Amino acid sequence: MASSGPQTCGPCQGKGLATFKAGVWRENPISIQILGICSTLAVTGRLENAFVMGGALIFVTTMSNLFISLLRSFTPRGIRMIAEMAVIATFVILFDQFLKAFYWEMSKQLGPYVGLIITNCILMGRAEAFALQNPPLVSMVDGLANGLGYAAVLAIIGFIREMLGTGNVLGHAVLPAEWYVPNQLMILAPGAFIALGFLIALSNAVRSHEPGQGRP
Amino acid sequence: MKKSLHTISYAAVLGTACALLLTGAGRFTAPYREANAKAEEVRNILKVLDVPFELGASSQDLLDVFKRCVRQERRGDLTLYIYEDPDAARGVQAIAVPFAGQGLWGPIRGFLALKPDMKTIQGVTFHQQEETPGLGGEIGSDWFRDQFKGKTIEDVNGRAGIRILRGGSASGPNEVHAITGATMTSERVEKMLNAAIMQIAGEDIHHGQ
Amino acid sequence: MNETHVLIIVVAVIFTNNILLSNFLGMCSFLACSRQIDTAVGLGSAVTFVMTFTTALNYLIYRHLLLPGGLEHLTFIVFIAVIAGFTQFVEMFVERFTPKLYYALGIFLPLIAVNCAILGAALFMVIRNYTFVQSVGFGFGGGAGWALAIILMAGLRRKMGYSNVPRPFQGVAITMVVTGVMALAFMGFAGMVSIQ
Repeated sequence: MASSGPQTCGPCQGKGLATFKAGVWRENPISIQILGICSTLAVTGRLENAFVMGGALIFVTTMSNLFISLLRSFTPRGIRMIAEMAVIATFVILFDQFLKAFYWEMSKQLGPYVGLIITNCILMGRAEAFALQNPPLVSMVDGLANGLGYAAVLAIIGFIREMLGTGNVLGHAVLPAEWYVPNQLMILAPGAFIALGFLIALSNAVRSHEPGQGRP
Repeated sequence: MKKSLHTISYAAVLGTACALLLTGAGRFTAPYREANAKAEEVRNILKVLDVPFELGASSQDLLDVFKRCVRQERRGDLTLYIYEDPDAARGVQAIAVPFAGQGLWGPIRGFLALKPDMKTIQGVTFHQQEETPGLGGEIGSDWFRDQFKGKTIEDVNGRAGIRILRGGSASGPNEVHAITGATMTSERVEKMLNAAIMQIAGEDIHHGQ
Repeated sequence: MNETHVLIIVVAVIFTNNILLSNFLGMCSFLACSRQIDTAVGLGSAVTFVMTFTTALNYLIYRHLLLPGGLEHLTFIVFIAVIAGFTQFVEMFVERFTPKLYYALGIFLPLIAVNCAILGAALFMVIRNYTFVQSVGFGFGGGAGWALAIILMAGLRRKMGYSNVPRPFQGVAITMVVTGVMALAFMGFAGMVSIQ
């Protein structure tokens, strides 16, 4: 994680912006780190679902990174991973409970995938790679950035899949039924895999044209 | 020793904090969650019985409407949901019968609503199905379900059973069109609807009102 | 209660509702370990083993401990704890009795614990209201289906080594597209299982 320029003032010690940009674009959790694929494929059949899942991840990653960082000096090495799991699971369950209470239809749409956020590699990955070694505020920025990066990819794929798969976006007709025959494949499993594959390829192609990026 | 003590006390504190937080949140959200779950069941019954309710009605509103207008009765193996509007004093409006069966990809559950004569179909809903969207999944669509309105559960000769036909005119009083390209789902739906219809015929229910 | 026969569940979750190709579970280790057929077979077997037993265990705990005690809000945590504990046990067992497999799998053995397919199987079991027998069948079938997918992918990736994959697609992107085509192929199994 390169810091941008000399140490500047502020609680993030100047790393804030670099951390944020890295989480959202340079080290995007889905297209670059290749994490959190399961839920990306599962809930992007409808844009609305993708938004809620993205929101869930932003919430959980930000909060779990914050608390894991706060506890980092007290956490014994031996039970480190279990402690991280406990924190992550707590926030996931909190989100799930409130979703079931106040947005029931979405809870049914997302099904087990909300609970599965616990096993989402992004959370454990950021906890281990960042929150354990960095102060709370920067960790929170990192969590927020990764969450946003994830949510952005989900929104893009959700948009494409819903539009091509049903002709609607957020339930409203966008591609007129007169000439567009919805491509059912896009809302089914194969469409998800293929859409994500192309998105990663596109991301790779764009990155390889960026200056200073020698990634194959 | 000190390290083990530290580990244990850390684990205890963290565990307790998480448990407390979750229990608190669970208690707070419990009434809303339970109301939502109940309202879900109730919403489908109200929909198929054509009981009027507001589109954005809350879970509590739905439960109230249900309690006011619908009563549950058991006739043998059948559970009937009878809609009788107490305000309108028009007697029984409709009767809903649940049906269930195995679809192509997963279980299918729904309600069949009949008019008080227990022969004419008022409507049908599928509140649980995992069929292919756009193919078998069309059983949940308006066009498919609207076909059933006004049809009867017996043919011109009085034999019980509906038929879901591939092609043809579906002109008989108990015939509807199948979904093009979803033969298997259509067949299974026909089977499970007829199972429920046979039960109704078997109970020989006559509603004299 | 779910009335589906357990053999139907097993066949369905391997072919028509493959836990990876239809429900997208277990992608991370799928992507990481599908390069070599040997590793794929080893990991696939380990996952099947863990999934079968943990789904059964989680069923017992859910039905006889969490539900009666009104502790459903602890479901996720308890399930994860059971899976992590069981994986730890399997890791020790494999290290002691089949060290070759232990070294081949390396870090991926503990990663089975966070394999979302295993937690996912337990959660689906709860959602679909399976009985004990159905849960065991579902766990076994889920693991077997996942193993099937990863072994097939390992074979395909070997073949892809001889193809001219465009630069941006190399690596994960082409794997995704190929998995998509595999998922499409598996959709052809629809209707294979008929009931009643």
